[in-house]
Amino acid sequence: MTPRLFEAQNAPLWDELEQTLDRAEKRGRDKAKGGNEKGKPPKSAGKPRPLDGARLTELYRRACEHLALSQARAYPIHLTQRLELLTQRAHRLIYRRHDYGIARLRQLVLIDFPQAVRHQRWHLLAATLLFLVPAVAAGLACWADPGFILHITSAEQAQQFDQMYSSSEHAIGRTRSAETDWAMFGHYVMHNIGIGFQCFAGGIFFGLGAIFFMVFNGVMLGGIAGYLTGRGHVENFWSFVVTHGAFELTAIVLAGAAGLQLGHALLAPGRYKRLEALRRAAAEAIVVVYGVIGMLVIAAAIEAFWSSARWVPAEVKYGVGAACWALVFAYLGLQGRPARAPAPAAGSTHAG
Amino acid sequence: MQHVSAEHQAVVSLDTLYTAETPEGIALSLRPAGAAPRALAYLVDLGVRFGVFMVLSIAAIPLGGMGQGLLLVSYFLLEWFYPVFFELTGSGATPGKRIFGLQVVMDSGLPVTPAAAITRNLLRAADFFPFLYASGLLTMLLRRDFKRLGDLAAGTLVVYDDTVALHGQLPDAPATAPVRPLAPREQAAIVAWAGRAKRLTPARLDELAQLARSVTPGQGGDATGRLLGVAQWLVGNRDTGGRR
Repeated sequence: MTPRLFEAQNAPLWDELEQTLDRAEKRGRDKAKGGNEKGKPPKSAGKPRPLDGARLTELYRRACEHLALSQARAYPIHLTQRLELLTQRAHRLIYRRHDYGIARLRQLVLIDFPQAVRHQRWHLLAATLLFLVPAVAAGLACWADPGFILHITSAEQAQQFDQMYSSSEHAIGRTRSAETDWAMFGHYVMHNIGIGFQCFAGGIFFGLGAIFFMVFNGVMLGGIAGYLTGRGHVENFWSFVVTHGAFELTAIVLAGAAGLQLGHALLAPGRYKRLEALRRAAAEAIVVVYGVIGMLVIAAAIEAFWSSARWVPAEVKYGVGAACWALVFAYLGLQGRPARAPAPAAGSTHAG
Repeated sequence: MQHVSAEHQAVVSLDTLYTAETPEGIALSLRPAGAAPRALAYLVDLGVRFGVFMVLSIAAIPLGGMGQGLLLVSYFLLEWFYPVFFELTGSGATPGKRIFGLQVVMDSGLPVTPAAAITRNLLRAADFFPFLYASGLLTMLLRRDFKRLGDLAAGTLVVYDDTVALHGQLPDAPATAPVRPLAPREQAAIVAWAGRAKRLTPARLDELAQLARSVTPGQGGDATGRLLGVAQWLVGNRDTGGRR
């Protein structure tokens, strides 16, 4: 078959596909625009016919055949290119993913995130140890000898912490207004989630970055906790951190675990190519990171509006804090497990 | 483009064209964008983000502490989620990328998914390491598809969004049969030559036509015209009047 005949025979089909694509792409744009700006106008303006999906896929498949023929028979390049362009556009339209929205979010919060966390239990264990061991060591060192803090922070910083958690005028929460709470909320969101992202992203350097940030943060936080405890600010400090710590520390460790997963995939790719393994690990780890973001926002809100509230008695804070820790562990440990068939395991489906 | 031959194989290694295969077995050709346009696009985006932040700061002043908090949150969102937001809209590109004709797509040539957009942007923290996106630049320069670390992990690609059409319709000429049967490769070469007639200078076109003298009937003068005639004949035009 000569190229001219080929073109003459099939051009109507290509034109139909082109028109269908034009319409579909235009509609998509209108929808996006209408959602942002006004609401409905595109509905009345551009609704010639509903898009016939079955017809579109049929046209697409035919165009694919034609492209293959055209390539194999070395037809004129402008012809091949037109078919290439058409099939690319149709391909994009047909294989686009649609599952966003509330249902997806629900699925993420109730099932995907806790499941992804449990699936990572070994990375999680490693990240926990990387964080906890240096934290406890630095904490004990600073508790026994407050001077040890100078190995970790500068003298001014230590003094600042001292002042913040003392019962003096400048203490946390004493002179703060609602406005400062908001400012602190912003600060915590920016700062803490940034740390979470660093722990995750650092993992791509064969896990070294994640390990570094875990140990570094462990030493910092443990050291300061030990120092303040040793200096006698026990109640001020621990009642401040106990509640949001449930979310914040867990989230940081989870981010570290996600980072370790990236590094692990690069170091031990198993049966995949290294980059393929990385891609798979990242797709899995990103689910954990979604959860990390959510937990750090919760932590920032608690830290800004609840932890700093001085009018709440320390005992209440301890109680709420303990409840939060239990809640977080129950959520991560139990939520999203498939219900066992006969046994009425109520706790396993509604822990969140 | 797809006429695979030994010479072509040799050319491929110089080319940065990236081929993605669809489930239908069709090869999509994507053109990955290099470090320079992407860096420029980044600078434009930086400017846009800075501008938005300035406007927000002015708006936040009367709100006091609350404004300050919101401002910090918006700084955070601008830093991490500004690209995610724009990459998930129809064009798949931030304003800066759009200016330079760039687009973020999946390896498969599909629009970027939310998970991939978030992954590639969170890993900017790694690409930035240790300063000024040094890691990202290094991996971009080392790879022929110019992926930075975030692209590697997310399975995404930054490509030019429009294809360059070097070939057009064949110019009109009275169809003439070649003097001998032509091999498919020869046919393809002549048709491709004719398709580029509008982009080559007449002198160059003629110079190339001279090479194919042995297949055109008759000798002398207008080699281009006669070879164009052969090209018309090859695409199936048997009408010696040469309408198209």
